Amino acid sequence: MIHIEQLRLKFPGAEKRLFTDVSLSIQKGEKVLLLGPSGCGKSTLLQVMAGIIPRSLDVPMKAKKLHIPKRVGYVFQDPDAQFCMPYVDEEMAFVLENLGVPREEMNEKIAHMLQRVRLRLPHVHVPIQTLSGGMKQRLAIASVLALEPDVLCLDEPTALLDEEGTKTVWETLKEVAEDRTVVIVEHKIDHVLDFVERIILFNEHGDIIADGPTHVVFSTYRSFIAEQGIWYPNVWETYEKPKTAQQPYAQADVLLHVQSLRGFRQKEEKIAIDQLTIYAGEWIAVTGENGAGKSTLLQSLMKLIRTEGDMYWQQQPLANDELLYDHIAFVFQNPEFQFVTNRVDDELAYASRLEKRPEHEVDDEVERLLERFHLNEQRYLHPYQLSVGQKRRLSVAASVTDSHRLLLLDEPTFGQDAKNTFALLEWLEAYRQQGKAIVMVTHDERIVSEFATRRWIIENGKLVADEPVAPRMFVRGGIG
Amino acid sequence: MRWNIEYKETWLHQANPTAKLLLFLPMFVVIVFVHNPNVLINWTIGFTVLFMLFSGYRMKHVLLLFMPFLFIFISTSSSMILFGKGETTWFRWGLVHITEESFYRGVHLGFRTLLFAIFGLMFALTTKPVLLFYSLMQQAKLKPKYAYSFLAAVRLLPIMLEEFQTVHQALKVRRAAKAKGFRGKLELVKRYAIPLLSQSIRRAQRIAVSMEAKGFTNERTRTFYYEVTFGKYDVYLFVVMFVIVVVGYYMADAFPYVAIKDVR
Repeated sequence: MIHIEQLRLKFPGAEKRLFTDVSLSIQKGEKVLLLGPSGCGKSTLLQVMAGIIPRSLDVPMKAKKLHIPKRVGYVFQDPDAQFCMPYVDEEMAFVLENLGVPREEMNEKIAHMLQRVRLRLPHVHVPIQTLSGGMKQRLAIASVLALEPDVLCLDEPTALLDEEGTKTVWETLKEVAEDRTVVIVEHKIDHVLDFVERIILFNEHGDIIADGPTHVVFSTYRSFIAEQGIWYPNVWETYEKPKTAQQPYAQADVLLHVQSLRGFRQKEEKIAIDQLTIYAGEWIAVTGENGAGKSTLLQSLMKLIRTEGDMYWQQQPLANDELLYDHIAFVFQNPEFQFVTNRVDDELAYASRLEKRPEHEVDDEVERLLERFHLNEQRYLHPYQLSVGQKRRLSVAASVTDSHRLLLLDEPTFGQDAKNTFALLEWLEAYRQQGKAIVMVTHDERIVSEFATRRWIIENGKLVADEPVAPRMFVRGGIG
Repeated sequence: MRWNIEYKETWLHQANPTAKLLLFLPMFVVIVFVHNPNVLINWTIGFTVLFMLFSGYRMKHVLLLFMPFLFIFISTSSSMILFGKGETTWFRWGLVHITEESFYRGVHLGFRTLLFAIFGLMFALTTKPVLLFYSLMQQAKLKPKYAYSFLAAVRLLPIMLEEFQTVHQALKVRRAAKAKGFRGKLELVKRYAIPLLSQSIRRAQRIAVSMEAKGFTNERTRTFYYEVTFGKYDVYLFVVMFVIVVVGYYMADAFPYVAIKDVR
């Protein structure tokens, strides 16, 4: 089905070749997972297999033999970057038009495809923008199925989805791909392991270091896989969390008190909270379904949207919004939006320079932060040149200053690999131990049960539960 | 987020987008070569009535959309009226010099912009972008490559608007949403533009790759999900426009509002 012999590939401008003499072949009907550290070239290889390189992306490459299937269905990572039409039916029709399917047959085919991915909609003419991430990915799968592909290539299809979306997408994929050849690149492999029968493992130089049945590769290379920050099942069981986690903080004075807070979006009331108090040393996890108002709550606490209600900082009423930014820091989901300078070290110095602190103090502060967040080697780079994990670290490091005592985070671990997630959680725990408080929107139940001291559940713009989280017993070592 | 206003589909929505373009575009040229203010006033009345009655939008929304154009009407005509040249002086005070000629020329200019606005709004409010491009592909033989690129771009706009708000919030939190001085303002523009553009460029490239991965090439002959044809509504539109233009033109001769027939 797929046969590649001695593939060499180098991105223009890159120092090193991505692949040197990589060979592999995949038989009809096989389900294969490509696994390896980020930057090892798994996605690039997938694009070569799908013919996207060099047909759509012109990357210099050479192979002694290259046999790739004619019809390939490719599902991409970003749900917002794979549709060109505004409505569900139009997007499906776009593929059918490409295939030259007569107009009379389209409606029936569209309905059939949507049914296969279990995308139940009140009507096919629904704006794609109103769909959730998981539904968008299922729509992408449906439109790809219309191509009648010999091979399905899945390029981290659930990397940007929440747990619920991830589950439904994999359920759908398992159903529709049962009798097809499937090649998968994925970091969160919990849902994938029982589906694939073969793993091809890469090292950071893009060489294949293992290729064999799933359970063999997985058990032989377990520690290598763990080191690469891949989310594999039981990763939490082998993780040793800081001993201080969930331990109550000694001096729990009141930081923020909120009375009848209401937040609005375009005149519509989106969140209404009777009262809330945040104490020093708390780690509050904000949970709830998509669209319940979790992010809106954070934005209201920060007065980023129009709000009504009274806010008190350490028992004092807050005179203006600017004061709020002195006490509370906010870390956004997409770190790129928060960068304001062109270099990592300038980014870290920005807050101190705003306070007009003497330049030697600023320099010391920057050195300290570079050290603390492991960004020393990247100090002269543009923030956009960093890896996903480095961007996350930089955005946290740059947002938080000494004057802040409360940190709001909107899904900070989203799209991060296991290694980066644990590093961030450990930093947050150390931060909490300094008598600061953390309010964090998350979908990850495990983070809640392992790190949070309190949980808020948001439903339809209301706080329906505000409860302490019982510390979990400390589990050492792994199971199996 | 909702960016749409509600509307009812009327026969103006049913008319073929290409036909609308073919009928409206020449009007822009014709209007420029009409120098009789009476004609323009009649046409403005006629097309305003057509637009108000059949746009399918609530009067409240239509009037709201008209506001900026009324402002342009006042500003273009007033500058012409107050500072134009002419022989019959009505009023003079320092730089301000109102003459009969400049007054009518200003009013004429104002109606011209108003007519442009009406045609522009009438087209934009009664034409779905998707159908416009389907029609252009089918009637005007526009290459699918261009049509779908535009449609993909249209999809990016609301996403960009949402991202703009997020960037604004993010900068506000870091106290980087305000700046003093010219250099500061320039820096500020960069702060907004770079994240927005870099996101859009990457997204655009990904969309392009994914479109090709879905079999979008220039080679095959394609079918169309929406079959857009010329029809009776195009004839209606042609007849209505023809009547307004011709009747307006002769009425201007027979029952003029102002004596001037040529503002030049």
